[in-house]
Amino acid sequence: MAEDKAFNRREFLHRGARLTLGLSLAGVGAVAAVNAGGEKYVWQIDPFKCTQCGRCATDCVLEPSAVKCVHAYDLCGYCDLCGGYFKPGVTELETGAEKQLCPAAAIERKFIEEPYFEYVINEDLCIGCAKCVKGCGSFGNGSLHLQIRHDLCVNCNECSIARVCPSDAISRVPASEPYMIKGDFTENQEGEDQA
Amino acid sequence: MNQQEKIKLAKQVMQIAGIFTLVVAGLLVINFIQLRKYEPLESETLNVLVEQLKNDPRNDALKEEIRDFDLLVRKAYFTSEWQVRTGSILLLIGGILFAVSLKVYTDLQKMIGLPEAGGEHFFAARNKAWRWLLITGLILFGMAFIASYYSTNYLENYFPESDTEIAASTETGDVEIQVLEIRDSMDADMQQSSDQSAGTDTSGAAGAAEESEGTQQNTQADAPEPEQVYGIEEFKKQHNTFRGPMGQGISYHKNIPVEWNGAQGQNVIWKVAISKKGYNSPVIWDDRIFVAGGDSESRIVSCYDRLTGQLLWEKRADNIPGSPAKMPNVTDDTGLSAPTMAVDGYRAYAIFATGDVIAFDMEGNRVWARNLGVPQNHYGHSSSLMVWDQKLIVQYDTGKGGRMLALDTKSGDTEWDITRDNHISWASPILIDHKGQIQVVTNSDPNVAGYDIQTGEEIWKVAVMMGEVGPSCAYSNGLVFANNEYASLVAINPEQGASVQWENYDYLSEAASPVAHEGLLYLATSYGVFVCYDAKTGEQVWEKDFGVTLYSSPMIADGKVYLMDNAGVMHIMKADRSGTIVSEPGLGEASYAIPAFADGRIYIRGEESLYCIGK
Amino acid sequence: MKRQQQLLILLFGFLLMFSMAGAQQRFPKPEFESGYMQPDTTTPEPRAAAMEFFDVLVLIGVMSLATYLIIRKRSRRGILWLTVFTLLYFGFYRNGCICPIGSIQNVTMAIFDPGYKISITILLFFLLPLIFALFYGRAYCAAACPLGAIQDLVVIKPVSVPSWVRKTLGFIPHVYIGLAVLFAATGTDFIICRYDPFVGIFRMDGPYLMIGLGIALLLLGLFFARPYCRVFCPYGVLLGWMSRFSRKHITITPSKCINCKLCKDSCPFDAIEAPTDEKVRTEQAVRKNMRSYVIFGLLVPVWIVLGGFAVSQSHVLLSRAHPDVYLSELLIAHPELKSDTENLDIQAFLESGKSMDQLVEEASVIRGEFRTGTWILGGYLGLVLGIMLMNQFILRKRDDYVPHKRDCFSCGRCMDYCPVDKTF
Repeated sequence: MAEDKAFNRREFLHRGARLTLGLSLAGVGAVAAVNAGGEKYVWQIDPFKCTQCGRCATDCVLEPSAVKCVHAYDLCGYCDLCGGYFKPGVTELETGAEKQLCPAAAIERKFIEEPYFEYVINEDLCIGCAKCVKGCGSFGNGSLHLQIRHDLCVNCNECSIARVCPSDAISRVPASEPYMIKGDFTENQEGEDQA
Repeated sequence: MNQQEKIKLAKQVMQIAGIFTLVVAGLLVINFIQLRKYEPLESETLNVLVEQLKNDPRNDALKEEIRDFDLLVRKAYFTSEWQVRTGSILLLIGGILFAVSLKVYTDLQKMIGLPEAGGEHFFAARNKAWRWLLITGLILFGMAFIASYYSTNYLENYFPESDTEIAASTETGDVEIQVLEIRDSMDADMQQSSDQSAGTDTSGAAGAAEESEGTQQNTQADAPEPEQVYGIEEFKKQHNTFRGPMGQGISYHKNIPVEWNGAQGQNVIWKVAISKKGYNSPVIWDDRIFVAGGDSESRIVSCYDRLTGQLLWEKRADNIPGSPAKMPNVTDDTGLSAPTMAVDGYRAYAIFATGDVIAFDMEGNRVWARNLGVPQNHYGHSSSLMVWDQKLIVQYDTGKGGRMLALDTKSGDTEWDITRDNHISWASPILIDHKGQIQVVTNSDPNVAGYDIQTGEEIWKVAVMMGEVGPSCAYSNGLVFANNEYASLVAINPEQGASVQWENYDYLSEAASPVAHEGLLYLATSYGVFVCYDAKTGEQVWEKDFGVTLYSSPMIADGKVYLMDNAGVMHIMKADRSGTIVSEPGLGEASYAIPAFADGRIYIRGEESLYCIGK
Repeated sequence: MKRQQQLLILLFGFLLMFSMAGAQQRFPKPEFESGYMQPDTTTPEPRAAAMEFFDVLVLIGVMSLATYLIIRKRSRRGILWLTVFTLLYFGFYRNGCICPIGSIQNVTMAIFDPGYKISITILLFFLLPLIFALFYGRAYCAAACPLGAIQDLVVIKPVSVPSWVRKTLGFIPHVYIGLAVLFAATGTDFIICRYDPFVGIFRMDGPYLMIGLGIALLLLGLFFARPYCRVFCPYGVLLGWMSRFSRKHITITPSKCINCKLCKDSCPFDAIEAPTDEKVRTEQAVRKNMRSYVIFGLLVPVWIVLGGFAVSQSHVLLSRAHPDVYLSELLIAHPELKSDTENLDIQAFLESGKSMDQLVEEASVIRGEFRTGTWILGGYLGLVLGIMLMNQFILRKRDDYVPHKRDCFSCGRCMDYCPVDKTF
């Protein structure tokens, strides 16, 4: 009988503890749920904040980085002398390796019509070092810029590049608008301004 | 297969998988170490080769070598990437195989047996457990406690006001004025006193105080004889700033030689080797000629006897409070000493890419020095100094935005310091005398603007420029001319309500500044075309294609245009509507500087030497 | 009011951006005459949000199946195959992210940072395993955790570890979860994710140090079973509490224990408790233990205050993990670094136009949060220590071999060994 009593008391205590734990779990869930939404978030670089420090190439958990250079063609001037393609100071505009800025030779230069050239990024080769971005930004329109490629990004809980980004350019954005392509992105912002 | 055979098989598989895994892991580690060591895409060798090519752009063999090497490093990079990828998959497969065979091996051998009796003693184990728990907890708490003794809370040591004075040498403007005011009033009381400690009492700011202490000494030493303030008339006799008096590109000297040959020594009166490299141009006051130079080791100012070429003195610009220990990153075609010096008859002033400004008297004694905050400039600071009415004008547009200062020529203290709404620029200020008012006129992205030299107040501005502005402005006959490559060439009436009078896009200069003279405007593009425009209308008068890079700005002297090209050949043309070429003498070495003129002589800074040319 | 301010700042930012974008257009886009068609900027879509919900469904499925296999079917083999599936799906296919262990930080941030938006799937990932544990024990650890799975599959020759070592090491997860919550609440860092030893293996890519640590833990795991789960796992702390009071936990034997002792060595985690020895549990021993129990119970407040005080002393050091605090202290201690063009963080800060005063103020706020946080952390650790000490003096009567409900991972190995109701 005494054993039974003890067992019942323990069972009673267990039930109480279980209820308390369940309630506190529900409480934590409810408080967190205030900030919850069905939206999924992904990491992205704000090209206007980016300072092309080069850490995207080195600090991503992936090798090579999930950050690649993209080309916002709408902003491109199709320059013959492309600051993103040629090393600074180059005057003869040929495609020799000694003149190219990109260490991985990931930019393809194609003649379109006098005097315009098209520049296409070969993403398989791009390592996200941002050298061309810096070159394009300091000389040209800034149509080349970095973006996190979501076919590559594993969407870490905390982006390891965001942690070391000196200009806080990487933040979480809704997965419905996963890119901040210059041009499109600024247009959208303008639309919101007016609204 | 019996039990023994199974065990044997599992053991063999396990051994093979284990060795395989170890080998793959070893290869991966070697690969990792190699990558760490060499980083193919950051290859130093490649950079060295490209640097070599810069000095020898026509070397096809070198080009071929670079291309081959580039291919090699890229191959190395992408191959190692492939190796890592393949290696890790193999490692994983090997690991799985090893784990499975090991599991099978141990399972097959395992016999279910009764647990050994006894084990650990119940209470002994419990006693040990609670003691160790307590020890662990206390050690942890102890470590946390000790942590407080090994971590200074710097945030508590932060005092907002004093910090801006000491640390932020970039924003010393307001603070220094304050110090100056206090000291000035004290100066009055202590005019004759030799007690120098006044400066230190004025404020708690160590940096500012130190500096003012040094400068005060000199101010007092200079005080007895009031300086004469030279004006336009005196300046016209000199070549005291970048592009001549007031920076307008016009020299008033006569009898300038037109024939020489630097290589053969024809008409070379003297030639001296320059101690340190620099892209600044020589400046002249009476019989003294000054140049600056600098490398990461030191920055120097040299003064030569203009008549004999004898080095009179050479002083370092060092021990300047706030000067960076590590040199800012500058490109080779700008360097640490690109800005041209200014000289006003009493002192010579120099600025370097470190943000150091220094003043020496004519005998080479250091008068004052200060650092304006290391400029954020991806090529290197290159805007030259301008001097007028005891004010040293510094156009200090950096990556942080536009800024311009006027420093007291005697003490280096800030007279005025304005922030301007423009981007970084590389152009130099010029002075113009427009309707009786002296203005500082600057070119930048996006504003061409004029300022009152006394107060720094903006008189006018027109937002027409863009890009990386290098060329300075020109002025003639009531019009300011400004241009920049990829922007436009504009003429502006420099007064309130300024506007573009005409504009032209045909030829634009990248580095060289335009010059305007007697109704004509001359402009040198970096790709070798030299153009003359009608200054009133902007119509082209003539153009010449010299087919050689032109970085140096044209100068007008003795009715002729003197234009130095990068190869060291001076193109001398008549400064009129004909543009007839008078002669094209060569220096025998590359030159990027603007020639300086004195009566009957021309002074040219080549890459290595300083030349005096005349008869 | 604050939100309005934020909106205004945001609006200003957008205007600024747009004006910058306008100014940057140095070379207008040409009008082509050759009929050139401009290519599109490629923007591959991220994994669909619906797939995240699918992951939640898979999680629920795996845990339900695991519960069924443990409680009803009593099948170790089933659990084993489920473990393999989890390793392949949540591990190698989903790359181990997001997992409930890391979700602790997301939930913490959602509670402490009103600006942080947590996605509902992450919240579910956090809650579901705990709810399951509250009812059926650690079914998540048994089969649904990829980190547990990879370790469980390499358990080859587990050795028994003395109980005092296990109990002492059991203090570490509490420190880990405490620090993780502190760092997440202050927006400093996600240490659980940063030091996740196996995610690099799942991705077959990652910092070499982390992969090295993962492999080392796996090798250790050959002998010391599930080292991460037992010595580090911060989520295990929460699961342990839930499982301790779970409604229906795994049992070794389907009916009545015959005290055959066969199961004793089957558990690689030393999570099976033996029946009490009546020679040990004497009247006198019970009384003595009761006295110690009460004394240590009275000491609990002392541990809490001591812990709070001691740990709060480390708030200066700990807060330095926050980049803003680190940067501002660096600049105060070494103002000359402002001219160091190589230091990207300092240069970016100088470029941002933020004043030093602002930075220091922000850093001080964070440090203040750390002061409060470390008091709470220390108090919590003191409480845990106190309770763990008290537990050493509970002398409960046990007749059978039973799994320790808090430490048991419900892997089901013991069921295999139990001869009861088995026909051979």
